[in-house]
Amino acid sequence: MSAAQAAQVKREEPKQMKLEDILQSDVWNVDEEPHIVIDYTKCEKCEAKPCVYLCPAGCYTLVGDKVVFSYEWCVECGTCRVICPMDAIKWDYPKSGHGIIYRFT
Amino acid sequence: MAQIPMKFDVVVVGAGPAGSAAAYLLAKKGFRTLLVDRGRGLGDKELFGGRVYAQPLRDVWPELDKEAPIQRWVTRERISVVSGDNVITVEYKAGSKKSFTALLPQLASWMSRKAEQAGAVFVNEVTVDELVVKDGKFVGVRSGSDVIEADVVIDAEGVNRLLLERAGIVERLKPDHIALGVKEVLRTGAPQLEAAFGIDSDEGVAWVVVGDVTRGVPGGGFIYTNKDTVSIGVVLHLRHALEAVEKGILKDHVSELVEGFRLHPFFRKLWKDATISEYGAHLTIEGGLKFSPPRLVYPGLLIVGDAAGFLLSTGVNYRGVDYAVYSGKLAAEAVEYARDHGGLTYENLKAYEEKVKGSFMYRDLIRHTAAEALMNNPELFSKLPGLMTKVLAGIYEQDYSVKTPFEAITEALTSEGVDLFSLISLAWLAVRGL
Repeated sequence: MSAAQAAQVKREEPKQMKLEDILQSDVWNVDEEPHIVIDYTKCEKCEAKPCVYLCPAGCYTLVGDKVVFSYEWCVECGTCRVICPMDAIKWDYPKSGHGIIYRFT
Repeated sequence: MAQIPMKFDVVVVGAGPAGSAAAYLLAKKGFRTLLVDRGRGLGDKELFGGRVYAQPLRDVWPELDKEAPIQRWVTRERISVVSGDNVITVEYKAGSKKSFTALLPQLASWMSRKAEQAGAVFVNEVTVDELVVKDGKFVGVRSGSDVIEADVVIDAEGVNRLLLERAGIVERLKPDHIALGVKEVLRTGAPQLEAAFGIDSDEGVAWVVVGDVTRGVPGGGFIYTNKDTVSIGVVLHLRHALEAVEKGILKDHVSELVEGFRLHPFFRKLWKDATISEYGAHLTIEGGLKFSPPRLVYPGLLIVGDAAGFLLSTGVNYRGVDYAVYSGKLAAEAVEYARDHGGLTYENLKAYEEKVKGSFMYRDLIRHTAAEALMNNPELFSKLPGLMTKVLAGIYEQDYSVKTPFEAITEALTSEGVDLFSLISLAWLAVRGL
């Protein structure tokens, strides 16, 4: 928790922060195993790729025309599972005690 | 298979407001109650917008006002319509204190601690994988290889309701009746906050914002003042957000919408020099009862809170935490009723459905459909803020000639490309909804 607080950067001029910097304010107990699994054969056929825009934690990023997924910063909202047009996301909560630790929200 | 060698009367899944309220009342009524939650610590997985209506909570905890971690009582309601840099704001200074702002990890922790003090067994770090069914009746929960048996399971798992889906009770979540809320908690300090919002130390603000904060996607923004932090965020209807991405209308990441709101020239001075304390997101119900499972009672199972669809969203009022608590209370009362009427049978537990149908929540969920008319018309939703600000620009921003209200309105309609007919039909839908 203290590491995260230390990471809070005081802004001089108001400017947009990068998501990766905003996420520094959060705390996780990251599991070794991902709680979300992507079926890339389905994923590759998707044109709109809404997960890239609507996953609030930015777990889905575009590399070339392919979606690359990382679960570590997931905030466990469930959006990706609901919006995936290809039904390519096998979604579960992290194993007992793992994942995001909210303190203020 | 390792088994916890104890059978409970009731196991409650999820220590949010709904589950904690149910577990608290059941333990108080003498039921051997187990409350499980997947978080490592109390309140770890809790996130909401920021405001709670107090009265339904007092029905469960009369000591609420004195003991609960209340941030600020809401004394001022503000609503803003934003179009570019133009903002229309209406403020209502309330005569009484009916709701308060809170940080949900703190409030839910208080509630689950109450349950524990009343005698419920609270076990954290338990992610329930499955509701256990035997001979057509729910008889417990499974986490990994552990099975915990109980006469009654209360499902308070929240909006994603994976367990109900796995049990075949509900279908996979669809974007239609779901919105995504993305939130930042900004640390400003109490004196700075009070000066910026123009409030006293015993006051609080709840602020709904519609318009450009969602880039025209139906939804809205919110601002809630806590003691020394401000909760801000953006809510997007997922069906419309999905369409906006597919059509190329929404080209930015959703976090950039929240950042755009934080940095909006009109709003940013409210949290000048603030640091971001936390960032998070949560799904919220927009369809009310359309989101509800086919039934709220199954043999051995009661469904409460978000999982049951108990959240009211009128576009101005959002009631989730109090609905959750109240449904937990009704479930606990139904279990007590069943015990006192011959046992925890399916027939007796159905009292829960009757109690829900007779409650203020159910009546309000049926009555309030006004917001839906607007939300289901994304085109008009996106044009309305521009239209409203243009009308006021016509009235207030003048050099020589003063426009009549009629001129201001017709000119705004023309410049925003809205025909009078669609405006009237929307007004009609809204009035009919009211």
